[in-house]
Amino acid sequence: MIRIGGVPVRFARPADAQRAGVAMIHQELDLVPALSVAENVFLGREPHTRYGVPDPKRMVRATRALLEQSGVDLDATAPVERLRTGEQQLVTIAKALSLNARILIMDEPTSALSPREVERLFAVIDQLRTAGVALVYISHRMEEIGRVADRATVLRNGEVVAEFAARELTASQVAEAMVGRPVQQMFTTETRPSEDEHVLMVDELVVTPKAGRREPAGISLSVGAGEIVGVAGLLGSGRTELLEALYGASPGTITGGRIQLNGKEYRPRSPRDALRNGVAFVPEDRRISGLSLDHSVLANTVLSVVDALARFGVVAAGREREAAHNAAAQLGVKLRTLADPVGALSGGNQQKVVLGRALLTKPQLLLLDEPTRGVDVGAKAEIYRILGEVAQTGVGILLASSEPAELVGVCDRVVVLRGGKTAHEFDTALAGEGELLAASMGDVR
Amino acid sequence: MTGRRVLVTLFRFQSVFGLVVVFAAAIVFSPSNDGALVFLGADNLLNVVRAISEIGILAVGMTLVILVGGIDLSVGSVVGLASVGVAELLTTNDWALLPAVFAILALGLGFGLVQGVASARFRIQSFIVTLAGMQIARGLARMWSGGEGVSITYGDGPGQAPVAFSLLGERTFNGTVPIPALIFVVVAALAMVLLRVSAFSRHIYAIGGNEKAARLSGVPVVRVKVLVFGICGLLAALAGIVHAGQLNFGGPNDGSGYELNAIAAVVIGGTSLSGGRGTVLGTVAGALLVGVLDNILQLNNIDSNVQLIVVGVVIVFAAGLQRLRPGRAQAGP
Repeated sequence: MIRIGGVPVRFARPADAQRAGVAMIHQELDLVPALSVAENVFLGREPHTRYGVPDPKRMVRATRALLEQSGVDLDATAPVERLRTGEQQLVTIAKALSLNARILIMDEPTSALSPREVERLFAVIDQLRTAGVALVYISHRMEEIGRVADRATVLRNGEVVAEFAARELTASQVAEAMVGRPVQQMFTTETRPSEDEHVLMVDELVVTPKAGRREPAGISLSVGAGEIVGVAGLLGSGRTELLEALYGASPGTITGGRIQLNGKEYRPRSPRDALRNGVAFVPEDRRISGLSLDHSVLANTVLSVVDALARFGVVAAGREREAAHNAAAQLGVKLRTLADPVGALSGGNQQKVVLGRALLTKPQLLLLDEPTRGVDVGAKAEIYRILGEVAQTGVGILLASSEPAELVGVCDRVVVLRGGKTAHEFDTALAGEGELLAASMGDVR
Repeated sequence: MTGRRVLVTLFRFQSVFGLVVVFAAAIVFSPSNDGALVFLGADNLLNVVRAISEIGILAVGMTLVILVGGIDLSVGSVVGLASVGVAELLTTNDWALLPAVFAILALGLGFGLVQGVASARFRIQSFIVTLAGMQIARGLARMWSGGEGVSITYGDGPGQAPVAFSLLGERTFNGTVPIPALIFVVVAALAMVLLRVSAFSRHIYAIGGNEKAARLSGVPVVRVKVLVFGICGLLAALAGIVHAGQLNFGGPNDGSGYELNAIAAVVIGGTSLSGGRGTVLGTVAGALLVGVLDNILQLNNIDSNVQLIVVGVVIVFAAGLQRLRPGRAQAGP
């Protein structure tokens, strides 16, 4: 039973919940890109004048007041599509406030934010808290829960399995509660990178996004056989652009510099071309660019190799099943049958399917963009274990991530990008998360 | 659990079950002749298949296009163009049978490929590209024929088509199976096998399911889409040749509206207009369903305008069923 203010309630639809003062900030932002901030906040209930004519001035004024109330500095007349993800999120919060929300549910609100935007969000949250708003904050990130929450509840398979006072909470406690067994170690990667065998050499590479400006200096880095190299940097630092350029996913964006793959010049024209050269890629957002959610686990797993499995263009069903089965077993994908739609799997298992597809191509260089975003702690640890095993077979891995703990825990070295060029390089045996963050923000000389 | 599986299977082959229902209804409502049901007569049943053969051939190509998330509005006009083309080549130009047929098939293929390049490579929506293609093919058909229909007469003399071409209006196997029906069945069978076993079909479904993910998985998206539009154009030309052969006539205005009948067969067949989901078997059943409906209404001397209304209701009904289909949102644990 759900009670609000002591009164039992039952919500048949979101509008009922809104009326009761409950609002939710979704992981996927539900804003209309072409409309302004104010128009989005008052969508469907635009203020009118006494004569029933829409009153945009009043709407803008009311929006400004709401933004001010949550300590946000945004132009109420700017179209939402021109705002950054973090700012768009603040708009949805303002919208919730305009509905007089007393209870605000936030689902992974920081998953797409840069550290600076996260700080800003937390400031807003603090302000809301002082104003008496109750918040339910859903997150995978332990340090955020410690920072934001008073109490933490851990759910597993739809049941409450643990409750903590957030101040006493440790990451391993939570991880244990989530997985249901002691987590031996989060990061079990033990790699033996080869010193002199370079899989990838990137020299002064200039990546110019289609709408972007040309950068003066470029990115330089190398990945050895069996080495895991991290790519750090804030949103817009060129992380994703670098990986996409190396995979041929956005041809024409390389405007300078050289890439060598196993000592040979390499300039991929398409993902297909990259795969043929032994380069595989796990993209950032599995739902948008990784999987066909309605299709089976089988179809999604073998998609990159169906050509290779076919003889004279004919795919033998047995070989297809065998390949998918082996990949699922190697990665420990939990599923009932290979025929299930991949969209029915959990986030962690979906991510393993994407990873399995990349590994089936037997790559020499594996590119990963945020491979554990939106993945539970148990699956995270397993993905790290798999990456370690893959590296031990001599595959070079380039891993872009916005989580410093992940980079430091998994990688041998970390390259920090800032404004489209290499700003720093760390040996993770010698540097910690703090140095990494500082370098990303530009505080280190 | 098993209940859900039964439901999934039912939806998967909804048009096949729909066809069974309509077939049963047709038996019930069939007039009889000397105690024998007219509907169940071999002659009548084969006629049903013959009647839908042109739309059926188009619908097979349309299925592929819709599976990759596209649409081809030009096929009706290509039927007109191909029927005029083959008639002109065989009579006015005195070409031999095979060169004329292959030239027209190549024309359809080329027309489809160009549309495919425009929509896949240059990223213009296929709706727009093929809407333009529909106008262009119709214009070409009228220019080629000078605006008049081209009658086909058979014989060896100049201006006469080879007698072999008149076979399209005939029946084979001791005069039982109409040749157009045979061509349709062969085309559908080939497409079914293609979509079942080929690596190409895996690419087709992947593109329809999530084009971006398919590209990032190494699927040659542009090449596959161009080829699919090419196949659709080729089949449209084949339907046009069959059309001319059945009528002994190349009509520049023929085939208009066929594209919508083909899309209707695909939709009734359970193929999702957003791509990635559907089968040729469904489409064949969808086309047959419409054919049986038309036939039983005709046998009962019901106004042909009523037929249109009935088919319209069936389309909406089939599309409505799609919405009930158990999707991944309800997929069990």
